[in-house]
Amino acid sequence: MSKKAPARKTGSAPSDRRQEERRTTETRRAEPRKSPAKAAPKATPDPGSGPSPLRGKEDFLLELHCEEIPARFLKLLTEDLAGRLKAWAEAQGLGALGVQVFYSPRKLAWRVLGLPTAQPDRTETQVGPPKRMCVDEAGKPTVTGQKFAEKWNVPFEALTFDLVAGKKEAVAMVVQSLPGRPTLDLLAESLPGLIAQLHVPKAMRWGASEFAFVRPIRNILCLLGEHVVPFEVDGVRSGHTTLGHRLYHREHPEPIAITDPTDYDTHLEAAGVVCSFSERRRRMKDEMEGLAWEVQGQIVKDDGLLDTLAEIVEWPKVIRGEFPADFLELPKEVLVTSLKEHQKAFCVEDAKGHLLPTFVTAANRPDDPSGFVKSGNEWVLRARLYDARFFFAEDRKVKLAARLEKLKTLTFQRELGSYADKSQRISTLAADFAARLGLDGKVAAEAGRLSKADLVTLMVGEFPELQGIMGGEYLKAEGAPQALWMAVKEQYRPMASDDAVPASDFGALLALTDKLDTLVGCFAVGLIPSGSKDPLALRRAGMGIIRILWEKGWSIKPLELAKAAFQQVKANATKGEGETLSALEAFFKDRVAFQLELAGIPPAARRSAQAVGGQDLADLKARCQALSAFAEDSRFESLGQSVKRIANILKDENPEHTVDENVLQHESERILAAHLLQLEGLTDPKAILEDLAGLAGPLAAFFEGVMVKCEDEKLRAARLSLLNRLRQAFLRVADFSQWQ
Amino acid sequence: MHIQELILRLQRFWADRGCLIGQPYDLEKGAGTMNPLTFFGVLGDKPWNVAYVEPSRRPADGRYGENPFRVYKHLQFQVILKPSPAKVQEMYIESLEALGIDLSKHDLRFEEDNWESPTLGAWGVGWQVVLDGMEISQFTYFQQSGGLELKPVAAELTYGIERICMFLTGQDNIFDLTWGEVTTDQGVTPVTYGQVRQREEFELSAYSFEHADLKLHWDLFAAYEKEGWSLLHKHKLHLAAYEQALKMSHAFNVLDARGAVSTTERPGLIKRVRDLACACARLYLGMEVEAPQGPSGKMVVA
Repeated sequence: MSKKAPARKTGSAPSDRRQEERRTTETRRAEPRKSPAKAAPKATPDPGSGPSPLRGKEDFLLELHCEEIPARFLKLLTEDLAGRLKAWAEAQGLGALGVQVFYSPRKLAWRVLGLPTAQPDRTETQVGPPKRMCVDEAGKPTVTGQKFAEKWNVPFEALTFDLVAGKKEAVAMVVQSLPGRPTLDLLAESLPGLIAQLHVPKAMRWGASEFAFVRPIRNILCLLGEHVVPFEVDGVRSGHTTLGHRLYHREHPEPIAITDPTDYDTHLEAAGVVCSFSERRRRMKDEMEGLAWEVQGQIVKDDGLLDTLAEIVEWPKVIRGEFPADFLELPKEVLVTSLKEHQKAFCVEDAKGHLLPTFVTAANRPDDPSGFVKSGNEWVLRARLYDARFFFAEDRKVKLAARLEKLKTLTFQRELGSYADKSQRISTLAADFAARLGLDGKVAAEAGRLSKADLVTLMVGEFPELQGIMGGEYLKAEGAPQALWMAVKEQYRPMASDDAVPASDFGALLALTDKLDTLVGCFAVGLIPSGSKDPLALRRAGMGIIRILWEKGWSIKPLELAKAAFQQVKANATKGEGETLSALEAFFKDRVAFQLELAGIPPAARRSAQAVGGQDLADLKARCQALSAFAEDSRFESLGQSVKRIANILKDENPEHTVDENVLQHESERILAAHLLQLEGLTDPKAILEDLAGLAGPLAAFFEGVMVKCEDEKLRAARLSLLNRLRQAFLRVADFSQWQ
Repeated sequence: MHIQELILRLQRFWADRGCLIGQPYDLEKGAGTMNPLTFFGVLGDKPWNVAYVEPSRRPADGRYGENPFRVYKHLQFQVILKPSPAKVQEMYIESLEALGIDLSKHDLRFEEDNWESPTLGAWGVGWQVVLDGMEISQFTYFQQSGGLELKPVAAELTYGIERICMFLTGQDNIFDLTWGEVTTDQGVTPVTYGQVRQREEFELSAYSFEHADLKLHWDLFAAYEKEGWSLLHKHKLHLAAYEQALKMSHAFNVLDARGAVSTTERPGLIKRVRDLACACARLYLGMEVEAPQGPSGKMVVA
């Protein structure tokens, strides 16, 4: 076998740099000098511009103090400006910065420790005409030469002549030295622009100004070392002071002076503001856990809510309150949702997961001197829970099935009809899918029929995130069988990548059917996600379908389900069946690839397993898992080589199956033939792989000692047949030629 | 703290801060923003400070006077400051202190809550003001109204009178609040919110949930619309036309409470109110006004 040597490029492409009259070369000092004391005084090129800046490093601090900034934008905005500051500093020759960010409801702040106080000096080289045009034969300056010197304001004698890249002969040059500018000046010039350029997702104007920002800017603190960086944004001048907590300023009317950027956080903390988000979050988490522990409970975990609480306070205080125990008759999900959505409060549960009549929430102050904060929150919570109990009682007065009529007026998708239409489709499909899985079709159809009825209940109207959960709870209260209410309750799972798929079979079936109907329906009317646009969260629905099939181990192909789902929306479809299904095929393929990655299947195993089919997820999963177990097995590398050789040998052959293998001569081929019979009898991918791995040695020996395409027709046919059957055996699990 | 005392203090406070004290507008409406003092006041470049109480009707919130927290009609105290002053947050906080709220003992937060009125073509950004976990006010920087960019921007403060009163007195039932006191020769008699309003809550809930004539309200909606456009086009009367938009809005709310408006119809109906309101805003500012296309593609007004 001859190996092709990779073509190697010799020599580089000719430079196509344009012949410019003026070129600039910048030489920067690698490291600005460490301390001002070492700075060498430098002759100033322009006597009028004052002493050159001391070279060293200073700490930089910028704080925009605003009216309360929406919590969801705090991190986004601070990180945006941090990125812009870094890019700006690089462009100014100030090097790579480490930017610390701080934020609290009224503050966005950035700090850089050790910012160079000036740009490094640079030299600029101006390239002029060729030497022969500047100097005549007698060595005297020509008019051209003098003009070039005049243009750059230097005497002719200051010109140098040398070869430069891109020129074939010596040219005239003027080397100018440009002193680096003070960082303070650069910041003062650039910060207003950097701030104005911030991408604010929902910008507002205020007062009579045209300036738009996230919320009105009321104070700007900006220091480089102890010096104020002077600039102005929308009429607010920067200074060296800031503001603490509103409560603090009731007793201390004066603003807080900051003279050193490193004091920023400690000075603010003394004025009632913990400006680090992670610090606030940490303290609140600790305090909450302590408060829950005092009542022998634990916090019902919700990282998103904890983030929100740490974003809406300047001081990380947590309070615990109680609500009347009779509200505990409400479903747990209702209490958790109501407390979270209305009061940004956590529920507390006992070791068995039963809720306690206790809640924990944040307060933006260090204490609760009169107990008003606690009693106020308790009062509001009672009102909210009273409402929730009212909804729960009202909703149960009407059976869920009696609400179906009202679904006709609730649009699912303009192109796909109402939720009544959708329920009908889901019901029919769920019964069909149940039959394929050997589940009770009647239960499936009923679950589908009732699945969306809770959308018109008061509780779901108030808390949309309780959809499904309420339907399940109300059916349970009506005395419906568990399989039915559980299916309705679980139908929206998995709601996110960290959410589990439905635990019950009918729940999984209903979730699968609902998502398929949405997905196929939308694809059929051309609502297909593209790029970052996926307003209907179809990718999440697709992922849900794949995850359910994968985790349930159901051996049905998503595309076949999609085909059945298409028949249900056919009347509304604007795209043909073929077009819709082929778009879905590609869509599913991406989701499956992602699922394999999530499941931790190594790339080699993924590639080779998918190469022989990935429609049946249960089968793909079994093969991938078996392959993963062998991923580290060195025998598989040689197996890959052998498979490629087999493919090459069989390329132009048409081997028959029915050949007399008794003609085989070599010992290695006899071993292979004997092994093959055993191999073909196996069905479990793991057992097949175990067996295949054992073939690595005999295969190597076979290629070593046997000439497949020999003269003897019979022997040749037998050998080709053997190889073909071997290949078929391989392909039942994976295409090993994709292994590497 | 009584309902009437709360209103009087807020009026005194804002009058002292340079606001005109306006009066409720005598037509049904869902919020204080719909009062022409606000709707037209925030348009244009002239400074404008005004404060007033507005009884606000939300038929779908009616609970027959049985729910201790929700009512068909509640009182909003509305303040408009145009242009929004630099110290507007501080002014607002002072107004709470004028109500007797000692902020050194409470937890006050401004949490993002953006406001939008699709019937007025208006939106703004701002906060719900939360005191000890309770939303007591809506604080908005008006960015657009009548479909027009606002320059300068007005700040709108809306106090929920009943809520604040319940909170300050620790009452669990809106109808137990004291409205005020009546002094006669026989002595002083406290009058509750329930005495003043509970029967009204029952009757108006019954009306909007059970008895309101659907055909009448559909007809009214269309008739007010026609009248509104005719007043605008033929007679250039933006205030009179705007009243028709308010009446359309209320007719819509009644239909909605009766469950007569389907989800699909909803945006279309809201748009018809908005089109008229926006046209009134344009006429007020002397801008050109075009009649919208009706649902059938025909001009609504010939």
